[in-house]
Amino acid sequence: MTDTFRRFEIEQDHEAYPACFFDVPEPPPVLYGIGNPDLLNPGLGVIGARKATPYGRRCARMFAGWAASHGQTVVSGAAIGCDQEAHLAALEAQGATVAVLGCGADVDYPRRAGALLRDVRRRGVVVSECPWGTPPQPWLFRKRNRLIAALSRVLLVVEASLPSGTFVTAEYALDAGREVCAVPGSILAPECRGSNRLIRQGATPVTDVSELALTLQADFQLCNPDYADSSRDELARALIANPMRPDDAARECELDIVETVRRISELELEGVIRKYPDGRYGSC
Amino acid sequence: MHATVETATLLGIDAVPVEVQVDVSSGIPAFTIVGLGDAAVLEARERVRSAIRRCGFDFPGARVVVNLAPAPLRKHGTGFDLPIAAAILVATGQLQRNLLESAVLVGELSLDGSVRSVPGMLAQARSAQARRLRLIGPSGILRYRAALSDLDAQPIDTLRDLLQRCAETPCPRIDAPAPRKCFPDLADIVGQSSAKRALEIAATGGHHVLFTGPPGTGKSMLAHAMCGILPALDTDEAIATALVHSVAGADETAALAGVRPFRAPHHSATIAGLLGGGSPPRPGEVCLAHNGVLFLDELPEFAPSALQSLRQPLEEGSVTLVRADARIAFPARFTLIAAANPCPCGYLGDSQRRCTCAESTISRYRARVGGPLMDRMDISVDVPRIDPSFLLRTHSSETSSVVASRVLEARQRAISRNASLDESIGTLPRGRLRQHIALSRLSATASEALASCARVGHLSGRAVVRLVSVARTIADLESSADVLRPHILEALGYRTWDTDAAA
Repeated sequence: MTDTFRRFEIEQDHEAYPACFFDVPEPPPVLYGIGNPDLLNPGLGVIGARKATPYGRRCARMFAGWAASHGQTVVSGAAIGCDQEAHLAALEAQGATVAVLGCGADVDYPRRAGALLRDVRRRGVVVSECPWGTPPQPWLFRKRNRLIAALSRVLLVVEASLPSGTFVTAEYALDAGREVCAVPGSILAPECRGSNRLIRQGATPVTDVSELALTLQADFQLCNPDYADSSRDELARALIANPMRPDDAARECELDIVETVRRISELELEGVIRKYPDGRYGSC
Repeated sequence: MHATVETATLLGIDAVPVEVQVDVSSGIPAFTIVGLGDAAVLEARERVRSAIRRCGFDFPGARVVVNLAPAPLRKHGTGFDLPIAAAILVATGQLQRNLLESAVLVGELSLDGSVRSVPGMLAQARSAQARRLRLIGPSGILRYRAALSDLDAQPIDTLRDLLQRCAETPCPRIDAPAPRKCFPDLADIVGQSSAKRALEIAATGGHHVLFTGPPGTGKSMLAHAMCGILPALDTDEAIATALVHSVAGADETAALAGVRPFRAPHHSATIAGLLGGGSPPRPGEVCLAHNGVLFLDELPEFAPSALQSLRQPLEEGSVTLVRADARIAFPARFTLIAAANPCPCGYLGDSQRRCTCAESTISRYRARVGGPLMDRMDISVDVPRIDPSFLLRTHSSETSSVVASRVLEARQRAISRNASLDESIGTLPRGRLRQHIALSRLSATASEALASCARVGHLSGRAVVRLVSVARTIADLESSADVLRPHILEALGYRTWDTDAAA
């Protein structure tokens, strides 16, 4: 079935071999992949525990979806939990996504992720260092983690316990000189101990989309946060800075009320602002 | 000795013809009234007897039987006094029979014989005009001649006047000018520009408005100002509105002069008070607001059952009261203006005071109004507290008369656009989505905007219709033949809070 998708093999001395793999120990001699090889450039890695809490899943979905909708490639490991949420969110946002597997790139593992992997092969790329048909082995997944680190310019850890493969990936990323971000979690939850320790060790804490945007902007210089897009619009800036009712906004910006109401609706449709339950309009 | 005289009894807003038949025969002296009259009709015996004697006539010392035909129809009220007295006078030969031919008599008699007005005189006048009969009644009936052009009305002050005046042709009397009601002017309201805009749109398209804001921010004042920007009633509307007022026993002078009614029932109002009821059925507040404004202050404080009862008049423009012996319809096409606090304490979203309500209290408070009624509010705007420093500075704002002229022009455009459809303001077909959208002439960009609104805001079918009709009105205000994207966007800005919760 996978034959319907584009398979490729890239050797280390080939010019198409992504340079980022030389940043990690033992760069794979041959890369086996299915999908679009052009996507094998450093993007945003979103990883988290397999035994994810709803909190971790939700964060993975939110950040990956946002990044994908703003043109970032989302890299993850297709594992149950946070990884799959990240891939799904990227696909839903019509964005690009890369799955790095610890088995053959043509093997559907985890088995229940078959449909997801097929989508990723068709619209993104699934890549592995293992030859075609290699069955999943635990040590292979540990090794594969260094490849996720290699393919991430920024690595976002949404949830990690201790010890865990996620934490290992983060250490690979730090060694490879990647920017590591982590979503803070409850200090009482064992599922968040790894991600919280990363923050203590110096990872950038990310608490909302705009902080991720700032980090990405610093590292990629291409991903603008929402309000930077609309910064030309005085009304949008005023409302994001301080939620207001149309009357007050009209007065602040010295606009006609009719014009204000219309532009607020326009901004609302664009998803820049939204109406709060108390009647004011402000940032989403 | 027998005589018949024409009169009528009220059934809803109509006057149904009734024939008063009197038979005076020899026997033990008695005075009987038959024909399903209520207590007030039966008490006519005492008033008629006194009035006849006081005016210098003789009351027959014989057996007097009065029949009100058709007998199965229930009759009520005191308007039968005058026709009964007149019929007795004719039957006893004290009044010429031909004087009362082709005439309808309605009026209550005092014990001294003077003729008093009864509720529903306008309905009686209209019925007399339709039947091409002369109306003889209390002196107030002359003022209907301005509205009902070819009404033949003969006012009398006392029973005795029947002898002289019925032979005369009536002289027109100059009406006292209708009392000008004082409304707050829009220019006197500081700030609240979006609420004023909402009023302008509502006045043009007959849309229902909800004002939400903390106490003392001018919600009631804004609602009252609505009367100042609505155009005067045209003749047909004036008669329709005055009819309801007349039947309810209220003063119909203002309505006849073209002043739109403004009804503001207190929030303790019952279903019967709002819609009408009783026996005989009398119109309620929504009917009295026909062609005008119904203002419900403190909307969530109304009994939920009373609010739900508003759905039928909002949808159909009339109230139908069903009783064992009759179905009575009163017209009730009104513009609903409702005012509510955003939460029980009133300060949710206020810039200075903190709201002390729990989340659950707020949702319970809002749920009192109920989704179906909320769904029928076309325009919802916030009326926030104004910064005191801003309040004291002087501002120039448009006066009501400027806005009123814009409203009038836009209404005329809407009427001429809908002329071929025989649809008046605010009665574009609801519920028929496709037809409605086709009639509104949406431009391509507007349809696109509408589609994205529906997607982003999760709008229901009814919400889309509402959005389109408000946008159509905005387009009329800008004399645009088609509904354009900005019109849809503005209409979207006036959604109700329920839609927000769903979004």
